[in-house]
Amino acid sequence: MSVHAGMEAAPARNWPGLAAGREVALLVALVAVALAVSIVSRGTFWNPVNIRSLMVTSAITAIPATGMTIVILTGGIDVSIGSMLGLVAAIGGLAFEAGWPLPLVAPLFCATGGLLGLVNALVILRGGVPPVVATLGTLSIFRMCVFLVLGSNWITAIPPGLTTIFIATRIGPLPMVSVIALLLMAGAAVILRAHRGGRHVYAVGNNEEAARLSGIPVRRIRLVSYVLLGVCTGAAALVQLGQSPLVQTSTGTGFELSVIAAVVLGGTELAGGRGTLLGTLLGTLIVSLVTDAIVLMHIQPFWGGVVLGLIILASVGAGHLGQMRRQEVI
Amino acid sequence: MTGLRIGRLVLLGVVALLVLGGFAAGDVTVLSGSNLSSMAVFAVEVGIIAFGQTFVICGGDGGIDLSVGAISGLAEVLTGMLIRSGSPWPLAVLAGVAGGAVMGLINGMAATLLRIPAIIVTLATMFMFSGLALVATTGINIDLTSAPPAFLAIGQGKLLGLPFQLVCLYLPILVLLALLQHRGVFGRALYLTGTNALAARLAGISVGRLRATTYVIAGTLAGIAGIIGAARLGTATPEGTDQANLISIAIVVLGGASIFGGDGSVLGTALATVVIAIADYGLSYNDYNPIFQAGVIGVILVIVVLAENVLRHRLERRAAAKMEEGTV
Repeated sequence: MSVHAGMEAAPARNWPGLAAGREVALLVALVAVALAVSIVSRGTFWNPVNIRSLMVTSAITAIPATGMTIVILTGGIDVSIGSMLGLVAAIGGLAFEAGWPLPLVAPLFCATGGLLGLVNALVILRGGVPPVVATLGTLSIFRMCVFLVLGSNWITAIPPGLTTIFIATRIGPLPMVSVIALLLMAGAAVILRAHRGGRHVYAVGNNEEAARLSGIPVRRIRLVSYVLLGVCTGAAALVQLGQSPLVQTSTGTGFELSVIAAVVLGGTELAGGRGTLLGTLLGTLIVSLVTDAIVLMHIQPFWGGVVLGLIILASVGAGHLGQMRRQEVI
Repeated sequence: MTGLRIGRLVLLGVVALLVLGGFAAGDVTVLSGSNLSSMAVFAVEVGIIAFGQTFVICGGDGGIDLSVGAISGLAEVLTGMLIRSGSPWPLAVLAGVAGGAVMGLINGMAATLLRIPAIIVTLATMFMFSGLALVATTGINIDLTSAPPAFLAIGQGKLLGLPFQLVCLYLPILVLLALLQHRGVFGRALYLTGTNALAARLAGISVGRLRATTYVIAGTLAGIAGIIGAARLGTATPEGTDQANLISIAIVVLGGASIFGGDGSVLGTALATVVIAIADYGLSYNDYNPIFQAGVIGVILVIVVLAENVLRHRLERRAAAKMEEGTV
């Protein structure tokens, strides 16, 4: 472990090596799954309606997955984002109900998300509560807040403009959401790769003590990563209302699982310091593809969890086996 | 005894009495015999699951089991289906418990042999086990009201006026695990492994096998809890014990275990179970929504850990100040 952590400090050497190998493997897996699905579904997979809905679903997962990748890179984790998405949607939904115009509500979504991310960050950093425990707590606390905000009512007063802008508008073959998600990921990838702050993220995840001693503001990097994830989750909540214009107490339940699954599948290591957004993008596509395939093939939807769990175990397990073999030489 | 601090136990006892007193002040009927017994019945299932969680977390290396709820679901579905297909009920129960152990073994092997972080392993197996339980039942509860009365007695019987599962399952399991943890080689080895895995390995402890064993224990106990729940309600539900992940982790942390391993005791866990059970039952008795109950448990979890950290910081600072005075 420590040997590889050391290598990570020199990204230029690392890129063509380990990480790239992982991404090629993911790409092969993605193509294989897509081929299998298109053969078994006798071509209905390539139906434009299906492809478009697949692109929208993966974009909605990809936006918070970008933030989640950064949080996990610093060595943290946030399991509360499913409830966070629900709470942001509930508060934003109330604003829609009160008749606020879209240009005013959209920033409200991101701001609320950022604020909730800040709550997580303060509990974790100021309070010294381990990230899993803290966000497991806020997962149920945020959900309780959704319930307090909504009662047992539904909010259906979602402006149709959301669907028009994010889902129906297309740039080339891509719906607007996908373009936004791709731009976000590309921007974040460039920052992670080339900007000082991005390099600090890797440094903090690799060796916190060393990062602190070399003058990196470790706590600020951590704090920003959680807030960023909150903002991304807020944005996802807004876009998701374009896909299904309804807020209820269960909105977003279990969302954190598919986002974390996508990031982990993409090769980002939970210990921090290793992983790329390209991997996360591929991981997101695989997760969405599997879910979509199960619907297409008219299999019981419950198989989705089984297949997803198997894929995660197999992919992460295979990666670790390869790593252990390399380490045995030393 | 390592991992067991008397101060923590007293604190938990006081908190339990305060919470109970608070509910009783609102409505004295909460203290009636039948209500206290329902409280105990609720505590048994999450409490047994929390014992397993204690061992897993104690093993260190980020050990945590997010699949306990899913295991309880799949185990009770297995038992329920066997009973419905006409198998003798002791065999069905045995199969459910063994199924829990096998699921725990899968977790343990993936976490130790493949060295996948425990959160990822148990997240993946949570998907798998709950998916399989739903597939097997097509998402519909299995009705067990016509099961043999002897089976239903596991969750509904009384012994000396006390719930059967409390006297004949929970307390014996507690005694057994407490002996295992505080009076046996296993417990000592587990504490050492959780505190310093390298030292444990150099001392000749098979660290991987020990950690894998904790997952098997957790799986077995989750299976038992699921079966108790099925017998109590007369239905096997693929969802398993409600909110098992959140509640079991909250109980373990509340009971004084460190999430980083090497600390904690099933006795602390047992007392923390009482606190959570009172809070949860008191809320549902006063007709609060289940979402609200989970939220309150989340608040308790965060606040207790926060308060403890703040207190510890203050004590450390005071100790440091005293040391400085001494040297001057």
